Amino acid sequence: MSFAMVYGDAVMNKGELGKILYVEDDPDIQLVAKMALETIGRFSLSVCSSGQEAIDNAVGFAPDLILLDVMMPGMNGPATLTNLRAIDILHATPVIFMTANVMPVDVAHYKSLGAVDVISKPFDAVTLAQTVQEIWDRCHGR
Amino acid sequence: MGVEPDVISDKMAQLRAQYALKIDDHGNHLQALIKRLDGADAAVRGEILKEISDACHKLAGSGATFGFPGVTAHARDMEQMCIEGLKTDFDLGQDQGFSQRLEDLCLRLRQASAHQSPPPGKAPENIPSSRPQLHDSTRKKVLFVMEYTGPTAMQVLLEMDHFGFEARIIGHPAKLLDDLQNNGCVDAIVTGLVFNNDEGVAHAAIEKLRQDPVYQDIPIVVLTTLENMAARLAAVRMGVKAYMVKPVDMADLVDVLDRVTRRSQTEPFRVLIVDDDESLAYHTELVLEAAGMKTRVTADPVNIFEDLDEFSPELILLDLYMPGCVGQELAAVIRQREEYAGIPIVFLSGEADKSKQLSAMEMGGDDFLTKPIHSTHLISSVRIRVTRFRKLRSFMLRDSMTGLFNHTSTKQFLDTEIARVQRSTEKLAFVALDIDHFKNVNDSYGHAVGDRVIKSLARLLRQRLRGADLIGRMGGEEFAVIMPESDLDQAVLVFDQIREAFSEIIFHANETQFHVTISCGVAEFSHHRSATQVSDAADKALYAAKHAGRNQVVKASIQ
Repeated sequence: MSFAMVYGDAVMNKGELGKILYVEDDPDIQLVAKMALETIGRFSLSVCSSGQEAIDNAVGFAPDLILLDVMMPGMNGPATLTNLRAIDILHATPVIFMTANVMPVDVAHYKSLGAVDVISKPFDAVTLAQTVQEIWDRCHGR
Repeated sequence: MGVEPDVISDKMAQLRAQYALKIDDHGNHLQALIKRLDGADAAVRGEILKEISDACHKLAGSGATFGFPGVTAHARDMEQMCIEGLKTDFDLGQDQGFSQRLEDLCLRLRQASAHQSPPPGKAPENIPSSRPQLHDSTRKKVLFVMEYTGPTAMQVLLEMDHFGFEARIIGHPAKLLDDLQNNGCVDAIVTGLVFNNDEGVAHAAIEKLRQDPVYQDIPIVVLTTLENMAARLAAVRMGVKAYMVKPVDMADLVDVLDRVTRRSQTEPFRVLIVDDDESLAYHTELVLEAAGMKTRVTADPVNIFEDLDEFSPELILLDLYMPGCVGQELAAVIRQREEYAGIPIVFLSGEADKSKQLSAMEMGGDDFLTKPIHSTHLISSVRIRVTRFRKLRSFMLRDSMTGLFNHTSTKQFLDTEIARVQRSTEKLAFVALDIDHFKNVNDSYGHAVGDRVIKSLARLLRQRLRGADLIGRMGGEEFAVIMPESDLDQAVLVFDQIREAFSEIIFHANETQFHVTISCGVAEFSHHRSATQVSDAADKALYAAKHAGRNQVVKASIQ
C-alpha cells in the first residue's frame, strides 16, 4: 500500500518539515530526542508524555509530522494513532512509530496501521533528525 | 543543521551521565521483581513477568542511545526471556533455573552500565585513516592488584601490561569495594592473603565482595606465600578461582588470568534456522537468542548457499518438510559442497516415525529432534554440537600448543588475502619472525621452559595485534603474521613495539631469571608479485635481522 493511496494527494503538496509532535512516556528518552530534534535538527517540537496528552494538544499545535512511541502505558501507540486519525486536520499527517520491536514482521504490521516508517530504538541521537528529515523527504517524493 | 558540535556533545555527555545514575535504580527494581518470582503462584508470576518485560523493553530501547549498548543487549535478552516464559508457559512454576538465569542477566545488565561507549561528536578523530590502533575492539582487561606493599605488586603491574591487562594497585583490602565503585568495570582481582601479618583482612574483604550483587562474580586469584591445606580450603570456600603460591612465574599467572576472564569473550554461536513456518522459526530463534546465540532464519531453501556464505553458521537447524524440497534432500545438497561437509545439521520436525528419522540421518543429518521440544533441551543440544564443531575445526586449522594458525592454514590465508587485495588498492604486510637463540633456551632450561617462551610470544602477538591480523606458528620458534590494511612502515612500527615488549618480559627457570628477544622481517605485498615472493622477501629480511645482531625489525628490500 503506497503512501499516496492511504493519505490521498493533499499531503504531497505540503512544504518543509517544521513542527513535530513527539509522544513518548519515558522522560529520559524525551530529553535526548528533544536535544536531537530541537538542538541538532532545529525542528519545533511539542513533547507529550501520553497518547491522551497528544490528542489534547494536537489540534492546537497542528504538527507537520508525528513521532509516536509504540509501547506506552494506557493508550499505546497504535491506539493513539487511531484516535489522532479521527481528528480532521490530522487525517493525513505522516506518522512515524518508534519502537524496539523492529522484526520485519513488526515493521510490516506498523505500516499496515498507517505509519509511513518505523524508527528503531535505541536510536542514535546524532542522526535522529537526519533520519526523520529523510523519511519526510521520501514521503514528499524528494 | 549548523549547531556547534561542542554544544551537542556537552549536552549529550550531561544526558548520558544522568542516565548512568539511574541504571542502578532500574537494576534494583528489576532484582526485587525477580526475587518475587520464586514461590509466587502462576497468575502472580505472569503479572511480574509482564512488569519485568515492560521495564526491560524500556531499557532496551534507551540504553544504546545513551551510550550503553550492553544495557540494551542484556535488557533485550531479559525481555525475550520473559516473553518466552509468558508465551509458552514452559518455565512457569517448574523451572527453578528460570529466575536464576533472569537474575544473572540482570547482574550483567548492571555491570554493562560500566561500559559506556565513547561519546558522539568526536567521531571523526577516532576513525583511523590508516592503521587502527593496537588490539582494537578488545579493550584492555582491568585487574585489581591487592597487595599491601612490596615488589610483587609493582612487578605484576609492569608485566601484566605487556599481556593486555591494565593492573591497578589498591592499598588495603578494606577499601576494595570503594575502589571498585570508583573504577567501573574490573575483570579480575589478584590478591595476597596476609596484610600486615593479619590473615583476616583479605578474607573479610572477599566475603563482603561476595555479598555485593554487582561485584560478587568478579573472579579472584590468590597470590600468596601461604602453602597449607587450611588456607587453600578457606580460599575455595570463598569462591577463589585460582590459588598460586609465590614465587609465581608471570607466564603462569597470565595463563590463569586469561582463563578466568575468558567467559564473556567467546563468540556467540551462529545457528541457521531453515523452516517455512514463520512462527515456529521465530520461536526457535527466540529460545536460542535468549541463550546468547546468533541466529538467522530462512524460509526459502532455494537461497540456502547465500545464507551459508553470508552468515557462515556453525550449525543448521532444518525442518524436515518444506515446500519445494524435503529436509534430507537439502542436507544432501549442503553436504555436496566441500566447505560444508563438516557442519552439524540437526533436523527439527514433528516426524515421530523412527525409520523416517533414520533415513533423514543417512542423507547427512547429525541428529533428529522431535517437535515440540523443550527449550532447555534444544539449547543444550545445539550448544554441545557447536562446541564440538568448533573444537574439530580448530584442530584442523590451528597449532595445538599456541592456538595460533598452523603452517598450512597460514599459507592458505596468505593466498586468499593476496587474492583479495590484488583486486583493490589495499595494502597488506607480511611479517616473518623468529625467537633469537631459542636453542639456547631449550638447552639451558629444558623444553618445558622453551614451550613457555613460545606460548608467551603467541599470547603477546594475539594481544598486541588486531582481530583482523592473522597470526600463524610456522613451526618451532618461527611465526608469521598477515596484516591487512597495513603498509610496510605501519607494520614495522607495530612489530618494533612488540619486539620491545617481549624483550622486557622476565622468564623464571631454575630460580634464575632471563630475557628473550625476537627478530622480524617485514615485507609489503604491493612491492612483490605473488604470495611466494612476499613471504620470501620477509624471510630474507628476517635473515638480515639475524645477521645484523638480532633483536630488531628489518624491512624487506623492494624488488
